[in-house]
Amino acid sequence: MNLDVAATGSITVPAIDLRTTDDVFARETADARAAVTPRPGSTLIADSVSAWFGQRKVLEQVSLAMRPNEVTALIGPSGCGKSTFLRILNRMHELVPSAGLAGQVLLDGVDIYGSQMRVTETRLKIGMVFQKPNPFPTMTIEENVLSGLKLSGSKPTMDKRQLVESCLRRAGLWEEVKTRLDALGGALSGGQQQRLCIARALAVTPDVLLMDEPCSALDPMSTRIIEETMRELVQQVTIVIVTHNMQQAARVSDQCAFFLVEEMEQPGRVVEAGTTSQMFSAPGDPRTSDYIQGRFG
Amino acid sequence: MTDTALYPAESPSLASPMPDEPRVIARFGRIDVAEIIGSAISAAALTWLLFSAVAWNGAFGALLIWYATFIVMYRTVARAVHGRLVATDRVMTVVLTTCAALAFVPLVMIIIFVVSKGLKYLTASFFTDTLEAVGPQDSGGGAFHSIVGTLQQVGLAAAVAIPLAILTAVYLNEVKGRMSRGVRFVIDSMSGLPSIVAGLFVYSFWVVELGKGFSGFAGSMALIVLFIPTVTRASEEMLRIVPDSLREASLALGAPQWKTVLRVVLPNARSGLISAAILGTARAIGETAPMVLTVLGSSSLNWNVFEANQDDLPLFILKLIRSPNETQIARAWTGALVLVTLVLFLFTLARILGRDRRKATR
Repeated sequence: MNLDVAATGSITVPAIDLRTTDDVFARETADARAAVTPRPGSTLIADSVSAWFGQRKVLEQVSLAMRPNEVTALIGPSGCGKSTFLRILNRMHELVPSAGLAGQVLLDGVDIYGSQMRVTETRLKIGMVFQKPNPFPTMTIEENVLSGLKLSGSKPTMDKRQLVESCLRRAGLWEEVKTRLDALGGALSGGQQQRLCIARALAVTPDVLLMDEPCSALDPMSTRIIEETMRELVQQVTIVIVTHNMQQAARVSDQCAFFLVEEMEQPGRVVEAGTTSQMFSAPGDPRTSDYIQGRFG
Repeated sequence: MTDTALYPAESPSLASPMPDEPRVIARFGRIDVAEIIGSAISAAALTWLLFSAVAWNGAFGALLIWYATFIVMYRTVARAVHGRLVATDRVMTVVLTTCAALAFVPLVMIIIFVVSKGLKYLTASFFTDTLEAVGPQDSGGGAFHSIVGTLQQVGLAAAVAIPLAILTAVYLNEVKGRMSRGVRFVIDSMSGLPSIVAGLFVYSFWVVELGKGFSGFAGSMALIVLFIPTVTRASEEMLRIVPDSLREASLALGAPQWKTVLRVVLPNARSGLISAAILGTARAIGETAPMVLTVLGSSSLNWNVFEANQDDLPLFILKLIRSPNETQIARAWTGALVLVTLVLFLFTLARILGRDRRKATR
C-alpha cells in the first residue's frame, strides 16, 4: 500500500488496495471481510448548524450531508470547529455546560435534537471514537467490548463470545488479544487500546461512527490497521472522521469538507465540500488548495 | 548488524566486551557513606570538647549543637570533594531525611509506650470479661462490654453515614444539581464542627428533650454528624480524579447517567472510596467527647444499642485512667492498646481493600 503520498504539487488519491498487504493483518481483514455483509447505512444531515460556547460563536451555518457507506473527512486547521461539529452529531456537545446550538441534525430524516429521539438512543445509534484511547481501565478486554451493551441496556444480537470475536476481528485486534481476553483494557499498547475502543463502539451496531482524530496518537502501523478497518466498516456504517493528516483524508475518505476560520474571533465555516478526489485534484476554492498543499494551517 | 558497523575497530569496547547482565548503578558509594560517618564522628567530638571546656550540660542542647556542627562539617567535606552543586544536593538530602525520620518519632514512641504499658493486662479474659462486680484491686476483669459497645456504635454510624456520604459526593460531583452549592457549603461548615458540639446537640435534643435517655444509638447519631462531612469530602476528591474521558466514553455508548456513575465512575474510584470510608471510621472510633454526653459509659455488658447506657473503649480508658488505683490504670492502658490495634487493623484493611486491581494484575 502506498503510504507516502508526495506532499508537493497536486496530490493524487492513492487507490487503496488491501490485497497487497502481506502480513498477519491481511488474514484478519480477509476474515473480517467474510463476516461483513454490506447493509444500507444511514444518512446523517447537518442542517444550518451553528454552535456557541458561552457568548462565543464557534460554528456558523454548517450544512453537510454524510452519505451512507461513505467516509466523510472533516479537515481544516486547529480551532476551526471540526471537533465541535463532530460532537454535535451525537449530542456530546451539550455536555459542556455553556454550550449552545442552532439548526438541526437529521438521522435518516429524524431530528436527533427533537422529541422523537432520546439522547441515549441517539448516542447508541451514532457511536464515537475519541482522539485519546479511553478503554475502561477497570474492565477486561472482553468486558470492554461488551460494555456498550451493558451500559445502554441493549440486547446482544448474537452469542456474546461470538460478538466479542467478530468486533475484535473487525477492529483488527483479534489476533493480538485472543489469548488474553481477560486482561485489563489498560494493559494494551496505545494503538491496541484505540482499536479496542473501535471494537467497543462496533459492538452496539451503530448506524454511524464518528471518529475524532483516531490516529493522532498512534504509530504508522496502528494507523494503517485502523484505516484498513475503516474501509471495511464503511460497508456497514456511515463514517465521519476528523483528521489533521491530509494524506489520511486522501487515503480513507470518499467525501471531504474543509472547515476554516477566516479571521480571528470569527466562527468556523465550511469553505468547500465535495468528493475527496475532486477536493484534492481540483479544489474550487484557492484556500482549500492552499491548505491541502500545505501552504498554511 | 555486527558490532564493527557500530564501533571503530580500535574501540575499547570490542577488546573487552561488556557482560550482558543488569548493572548495579551506584549513586551512593562507600566513600559517600564514609564522608557522612566521618562528619558525624568529628562533629560529636567537637561537641564533646565544647561541652567539657565550657562546662555546659543538657542532652537536648548537645544534640542540637551536634547536628548543626555535623551539617556544617558535612557541607565543607562534600564541597571540597565533589564541588558546590553536589554539596548542596547532599546536604539537602541529609536535612530532608532527618525531617522524615523526625516525623516518625512521635508515632513510634506512642506505639512503644502504649504497647509496653498495655501488655501487662492483655490476657484472654480482657476480651471476655466485663468490669461488672470487679473491685478496683481484683485481678481479672476486662473490656468486653466496651469492645461490644464500640463495634456496635461505630458500626451503626458507618452503616448509615458511609452510603449517605458517597451518595452526597455523587450528587456534588456527578449530578451537579441545583442544590450542590448549598450542600457543599453545609458539608464544609459541618467538617469544622467541634465533636463536643455534635455530642451536645444529640444530648439536648434526643437524650433530654425527647426523653430517650442515654444509649449507644445516641452516640451513633453524634458520630454520623461527624462522619458525613469527612467521608463526603474525601469521596468527592476521589470522584474528581476519575478522568472525564471515561465518562464521555460511557455516555457516547448510549449509557444513561446513572449507569455511567454506577458502572464506570464508581468502579474507577473504588480504591479511593474504600480508603475514604475506612479512614473516616478509624477517626470515629477514637471519638470521646460526644460519647460522654450520649453513651454515658457503663461497667456492665449491654447488648442493646438502642436502649440504656453503654460503654465503649474511649470511655473505658477515660474512666479508668483517672482512677487512683494502679490496677485500674493498667487496665486503661490495655484498653488503649486494643483501641490502637483496632485503628491499625482498619488502616491495614484500607490498604488491602484499596489495592488497585489495575496495578495488581499488571
